[in-house]
Amino acid sequence: MKTLPWEYGVRNLFRRPTRTALTLVGLTTVILLIFVVVAFIRGLEASLAASGDEDVVLVYALSSGADIENSSIPARTPALLAASLDGIQRRFDVQHISPEVYLGTRITVAGTDKKGLGLVRGVTTAAPLVRSKMQIVEGEWPGPGEVLAGKLAHSKLGCREEALSVGSTVTFDGREWRISGRFTAAGSAFESELWCPLQDMQTALKRQDLSLVAVKMAPGGSLADVEMFCSERLDLELKAVPEAQYYASLQQHYKPVRLLGWVVVWLIAGAGVFAGLNTMYGAVVGRVRELSTLQAMGFRRRAITMSLIQEAVLLSVGGSLIAALVAFLLVNGTAVRFTMGAFALRVDSLAVVIGCGTGLVLGLLGAVPPAMKAMRVTVVEGIKAV
Amino acid sequence: MTLVQVKNVTKQYANGEETITPLNEVNLEVHQGDFLSLMGASGSGKSTLLNMIAGIDEVTSGEILVEGTDITKLSRGKLADWRASHVGYIFQTHNLIPVLTAYENVEMPLLLLKMSAAERRKRVEIALEAVNLTDRATHYPRQMSGGQEQRVGIARAIVASPTLVVADEPTGNLDDETTEQILELLQRVNNELGMTLLMVTHDIEASEIAKRQIRLERGKLTERQAGSAKSTVTAA
Ligand SMILES: Nc1ncnc2c1ncn2[C@@H]1O[C@H](COP(=O)(O)OP(=O)(O)O)[C@@H](O)[C@H]1O
Ligand SMILES: [Mg+2]
Repeated sequence: MKTLPWEYGVRNLFRRPTRTALTLVGLTTVILLIFVVVAFIRGLEASLAASGDEDVVLVYALSSGADIENSSIPARTPALLAASLDGIQRRFDVQHISPEVYLGTRITVAGTDKKGLGLVRGVTTAAPLVRSKMQIVEGEWPGPGEVLAGKLAHSKLGCREEALSVGSTVTFDGREWRISGRFTAAGSAFESELWCPLQDMQTALKRQDLSLVAVKMAPGGSLADVEMFCSERLDLELKAVPEAQYYASLQQHYKPVRLLGWVVVWLIAGAGVFAGLNTMYGAVVGRVRELSTLQAMGFRRRAITMSLIQEAVLLSVGGSLIAALVAFLLVNGTAVRFTMGAFALRVDSLAVVIGCGTGLVLGLLGAVPPAMKAMRVTVVEGIKAV
Repeated sequence: MTLVQVKNVTKQYANGEETITPLNEVNLEVHQGDFLSLMGASGSGKSTLLNMIAGIDEVTSGEILVEGTDITKLSRGKLADWRASHVGYIFQTHNLIPVLTAYENVEMPLLLLKMSAAERRKRVEIALEAVNLTDRATHYPRQMSGGQEQRVGIARAIVASPTLVVADEPTGNLDDETTEQILELLQRVNNELGMTLLMVTHDIEASEIAKRQIRLERGKLTERQAGSAKSTVTAA
């Protein structure tokens, strides 16, 4: 089949420059919104997925449900675990067991009078051994009265990044803390936390207990051993949950949010189809005579339909590219505050596929019905149409 | 040589209760090199007959043989292909494509044929030359006068050297002077390029330039014989 020249479709886009431009803006906005929503969902998923380490087991209070913040376990738990389990990762005689206190608390950032809800984790030097993705990118490990700030902690607190730079101070639990450094953790939820020395935190909180113990298992070690320990020491009232599973259950928690996200994607896409349809109906209605003339000349209806689709797809692909560019430059990496921390919007390959794919479909869906309508006019009627 | 044979062609339209029969068992033969004019009252069915011969309208019954092919039996797609290589259509209003230049408009029918780019170029240039618009090749339709647009329309209709060129009131929208130019041009297309022409017109003067003059009245064709009274065109 002989197709219409490519320039025909391209030039038709410039026939009504204003309308084409408006449609382009509309389509770009729609596709950009889709990028934002998908980047949100992907960022959330990535943050939760990155947080769970396969060989780390969390030991915390049986009674605390899914929420570690409510957990309280005896301070001797780490020592007991170390003594009773063989399967724990060790190196240079140091067992990879991290006792931690974890809680959400009001934090005041120096220079601002606002109090933000932040997440604080009291840790020992064993924490980086267990949470191996954790990496100090600036400054140093916190000494007494100091905290290490995660890369996204400022987003969680709702302050500027500079407010948490090394040397500045924050106030929580009744005392002032100096920021000793900053860390990343491969996009995981830890990045929105503040880490401080366990002992200082216990002192400040006047508590001796722990929230949890994170244990890194050696290659041969198994979860079953830890579970066995928990069930044998009924007096401690502990449970063992693989870290990956813990965050997976949090992810379950956010299922409605994700679902809502996808619903929004569909709604936006639906609106986009109407924008495309409107333009293409407009473009085709005034062109019936020309399209019939092409048929009279010998162009097949399929060739003409394809040219109309090409026109719409050209426009929507243009919108997709602009939206993708804006998404990469402005949306990607933007930090979002969330109940369990903060995470960065992620324009990853899936977001690009979904964003640009939607753009393409918008073009197709917008062009086919108007093209079909135009093709229903008989050639004899069409060549005289006004 | 017989090019077109219209055999017992009837066209009917159902219009509510009544049926209109603009063409009733019509017969016509067109020969290679003919220049036919088709006259008749408005609404008599002239355009309908022309469109059926051009392969864009369907007959209710009868056959239309063009170079031996019964085009009424072709599928829609095949008919489109057939038109591409056999028919050049000159419209009442030029029907040029506004986003294409004169050159590109003329080139359009050639894109439907197997042809090298060089050959295409040569043919477009010859066609534009024939209508004396070489200097307007890069102009868009909106930059040309009505007469120039119609000449581009003629160049587009003849560029593929079709078996048959049809024109439906090609001067209907033009002033007297331009009409004269266009008629002269059509005559040259017939005389010098040897193309077979079928032209619908309601203008007696226009019809005079044709070699054969046909009238359509009450569903029937009559041909005016040179220098004699009317007589019915007989079946082939
Ligand atoms: N699609 C149609 N439906 C019903 N009647 C039609 C249709 N097209 C044409 N006609 C009728 O057929 C007759 C012939 O039309 P046409 O060939 O356009 O006439 P002419 O070109 O001689 O003026 C007219 O009476 C017209 O009203
Ligand atoms: Mg007519």
